Amino acid sequence: MKKLLLKEKWPELWALLAHEGPLYLPVEEGSVVLYQLWQEGVKVNLEAVNSTVSPKDIFLPREETYLRYSCQGEMLDLEDVESDEPIIAFALHPCDLKAIEMIDRVFLNQDPPDALYKKRRENTTVVALACRQPDPYCFCGVFGIDPTDAPGADVMAYLTEKGLLLEEQTAKGKILLEKAAPLLEVEADETNITVDVKTQDFGLQVEGLPEDLQERFNDPVWDDLFRSCLGCGICTYVCPTCYCFDVEDYGHEEGGERFRCWDSCMFGHFTQMAGGHNPRPSRKERVRQRFMHKLCYYPETYGEIACVGCGRCLRSCPVNLDIVQAIKALGGEKVG
Amino acid sequence: MEEQISEQTVKVKKAVSQDLLGGRIDLLLGWEKGHYWWQSRPLFARSEKDLERLVWDSFCAVNLSRYLQDELKENKKIGVLVKGCDARAFNRLLQDRIVERERVILYGLPCPGMLDYARLTEEGGSDLEGIIEQDGTVILQTKEENKEMPREELLLARCRNCMHPDPVVYDQMLFTPLGDRERPEHFKAVEELERLSADERYTYWEKELSRCLRCYACRQVCPYCSCLECFVEQKSPRWQGRAYQPSENFMFHLVRAYHGTGRCIDCGECERVCPVGIPLMELNRKLIKDINELYGHYEAGLDPEQEPPLLTYRPDDPAAFSEK
Repeated sequence: MKKLLLKEKWPELWALLAHEGPLYLPVEEGSVVLYQLWQEGVKVNLEAVNSTVSPKDIFLPREETYLRYSCQGEMLDLEDVESDEPIIAFALHPCDLKAIEMIDRVFLNQDPPDALYKKRRENTTVVALACRQPDPYCFCGVFGIDPTDAPGADVMAYLTEKGLLLEEQTAKGKILLEKAAPLLEVEADETNITVDVKTQDFGLQVEGLPEDLQERFNDPVWDDLFRSCLGCGICTYVCPTCYCFDVEDYGHEEGGERFRCWDSCMFGHFTQMAGGHNPRPSRKERVRQRFMHKLCYYPETYGEIACVGCGRCLRSCPVNLDIVQAIKALGGEKVG
Repeated sequence: MEEQISEQTVKVKKAVSQDLLGGRIDLLLGWEKGHYWWQSRPLFARSEKDLERLVWDSFCAVNLSRYLQDELKENKKIGVLVKGCDARAFNRLLQDRIVERERVILYGLPCPGMLDYARLTEEGGSDLEGIIEQDGTVILQTKEENKEMPREELLLARCRNCMHPDPVVYDQMLFTPLGDRERPEHFKAVEELERLSADERYTYWEKELSRCLRCYACRQVCPYCSCLECFVEQKSPRWQGRAYQPSENFMFHLVRAYHGTGRCIDCGECERVCPVGIPLMELNRKLIKDINELYGHYEAGLDPEQEPPLLTYRPDDPAAFSEK
């Protein structure tokens, strides 16, 4: 059964949840909305459809420490950094959660699974927020995503006139709502929860595209599509399904840490090898890699296109070289 | 304005098509519409068919000069549409020996400033359906009603600060020049920051830069960032770490700003493309202001014959560091 949290009680809920562990929610800073840790005074924005950067960094942080080391003379001391803190990810939209499901396959469906990712994922309770109104950039419908339903969430939330309707979907979700129980109303307000959130489709038709692309590595499309690309990493960093990372050390002889951090296939040094050879020497190969990964390689391995239609690359690419332009250039359009 | 702009598009097309189809240039860098009415993206035109998509409207913000560095490797001669800022960017590249003047034909577009979709929706709401432009005003069309606003108030921040809307270098000027503009508030944000204490400024920048994703879009669009290898990627010595630490964010942005001191043409592309809204021009403008105060008024990109102050020496140059 759905339970109502009145608008005026939102801050109380956040304070309550943040007390339990890190609480991530969409925070507005000027023109930007980012999933950030809740603290007193932040401006929470639940109306924003798609945050500027996807919430993937809750599960795959921009930087994550693997281990800490310290050295004294010949003694090397390694410190484990695994944390058991329960995390709450609040107000993730269905498309972003679908994207997390895609990243899960990469990090968890292997032997052994990625330990840090697994721990973080298991420790996190996800509250999904149904969309009420699509952003002009949204096209999740193309990939069959229902913007009002997130099957992978622990709690499903719906914005209404009076507040937030909450409904548990898992045991973890039940525990969370039990904690919140003193703040919830007995009577649920179900007005306005089903709204029309039909997104646009740009005339795209992606069925069969992954199979079609398998033979098109040397297609002439690639000779021109990349030209406007600036070679920055915006698309990969705002994208909810990009997950590439690099591992580096930070510190000095006496101490420091080994961490992983986001990396981008759009950067020239991404594939730079020892000895100087670079198998993707120009923007052409890099742009092809990014779109082939989304539209061909990922579906080849996992069965679906690695795009959820969140529209962030459409919004943020400074030259509008986004995935819709790529799909269209590759012929993924409805006929007629 | 809408009418006038499309008339302008026709005129632009006519001017460039003679050169492209006549073989005077191999490639024309222009703009075409993206998926939305508020997006115009780069067009790389080689044929008559490509030129059909050419557009010159209020959303052609992308600086096309930046593509010359790569495209000149593959083409003998290139035509580029340039706004005021793009022309100054071209001068920057010229002065840095990145492009050869005789291999580029510049078509000058006096620019009334580009519109900012974020500003449009701020004023017209998220259900904004379109706009109509007429004589310096913009009519915002929403489902319910229309709202009329002065065009100037809806421009990108970079355009609201633009003093030179007319291209300073060109082979052919396509329209009547608009004339230089006074911008008394040009250094206002910098002056406000100058009034803060060092600690307050540090706190301010630490917060602003904390959003930095290190996507390097600011660098990639920048006409002064034309180094073949950036210090960021140099492995030995290693200047820039990848950790998501304030010190690393400061390292990147401050070193970049210093590399541009006296060379930044004040186009504001870095700020426009930043996906997380970091006010990068406040850094660049602080350095422009310092250069003006130390070495006399200087505007990079206006005259390619005039060397940037930090690349020349005069016996009477101030020695601000040693004097203090």
